[in-house]
Amino acid sequence: MNSKLKVKVNKSQVIEVDPGQPQTLLEALEQAGVETRYHCRSGFCGACRTTLISGEVEYINDPLAYMRPQEILPCACKAKTDLEIEH
Amino acid sequence: MRYSTFNQTNVNPLGEPMFFGNPVNVARYDQQRHSIFEKLIEKQLSFFWRPEEVDVSRDRVDFQAMTDSEKHIFISNLKYQTLLDSVQGRSPNIALLPIVSLPELETWIETWSFSETIHSRSYTHILRNLFSDPAKVFDDIVMNDQIRKRATDISKYYDDLIFYTQLWQTHGEGTVEVEGETYQVSVRDLKKKLFLCVNSVNALEAIRFYVSFACTFAFAEREIMEGNSKIIRLIARDENLHLTSTQHIINLWQYGDDDPEMKEIAEECREEALEIFTSAVEQEKGWAEYLFENGSMIGLNKDILCQYVEYIANLRMAAIGFEPQYDQTSNPLPWMNKYLVSDNVQVAPQEAEISSYLVGQIDSEVSAGDFGDFDL
Repeated sequence: MNSKLKVKVNKSQVIEVDPGQPQTLLEALEQAGVETRYHCRSGFCGACRTTLISGEVEYINDPLAYMRPQEILPCACKAKTDLEIEH
Repeated sequence: MRYSTFNQTNVNPLGEPMFFGNPVNVARYDQQRHSIFEKLIEKQLSFFWRPEEVDVSRDRVDFQAMTDSEKHIFISNLKYQTLLDSVQGRSPNIALLPIVSLPELETWIETWSFSETIHSRSYTHILRNLFSDPAKVFDDIVMNDQIRKRATDISKYYDDLIFYTQLWQTHGEGTVEVEGETYQVSVRDLKKKLFLCVNSVNALEAIRFYVSFACTFAFAEREIMEGNSKIIRLIARDENLHLTSTQHIINLWQYGDDDPEMKEIAEECREEALEIFTSAVEQEKGWAEYLFENGSMIGLNKDILCQYVEYIANLRMAAIGFEPQYDQTSNPLPWMNKYLVSDNVQVAPQEAEISSYLVGQIDSEVSAGDFGDFDL
């Protein structure tokens, strides 16, 4: 079954991600050419903090940086459903 | 309230605020009010490293080949970082331990300070390698006006909190006279001082290191001073973790997940907290100007560095709920990120493929071409 998920970024670009891949959301964004911000890439610094407008993500690494309820850390998670994000 | 090293009243640590509750008694981590601090401790411990593990001997040759303006940039940054870590290696312990009320946070503060002492020891390691007598460099730290100016701003919030905590712990609330001066002591006011102090520390961890980090990594991009850069990468990784902890403390307060009085204070002092941050940004820009006063270095100048400070300040401000204050929304130094990535930090620095480890060693990569002039 090929069930790719759609991620809408910054109200414009839509990228497709394969939930079967171990790739993080940050890596998926980079691959699609989105200008990303990051430092540690392992969930503790919070530099990639991103607003989640809709959808659900799952964490591959335990995130340590502070997140408000509507925020996610793309370097440590991947998409679980279709997403809309503001990075 | 007098401090006790083992408070014998039975308190429920799950009901205590982070600060100004009961002093911690049992150092227990089986249950935690804010489990994030326990996770930070584990992370920090997993980061453990020692400066001696990094070979900096090759840097001496690179340093001697530098221009005078580059030497000024390099040494001034080391002096500034020495100051920052001198403060951070002791102040969280002295200012925060007497008033902390959660065992996991108490241990985090100790772990955090300890890691700063490793940073301080690395500066000696780096300087010893560059100079036969590094004393002159260290002596200048308390005489250099540019550094002194910053030292005042960094230490004043800590000093204020420490002094008033001492008054409160020996005299309690009310009017206190010491050496002919009168002071008003109240817990509410102490909490305010604590809030401002943590905001100032947050600004320190968030941006004050980054001008020097950028210079170090710009040297590394030219493949010089690589031993030093290896150390600074380890330091940057630690500082990022410390920053996460101050962001957590501030956010736990301001979003009402800790002491309700601290939430009120966070609202009351919002402007002041913002000013602490923006003035740290201005000081860092001033520092960039001082660094480049004798000339710039390849790959970096004052303007780009100031843009980088603004870029990173925007990110850090958003993390504690402030609106980004600066226009710089894209990263003017994209190569910085590769030095800040945690996965790229080698666990055993001596195994890294940096040039200093290849000096006097055998290159194990052999290609067919190496046998070209070989006869039997």
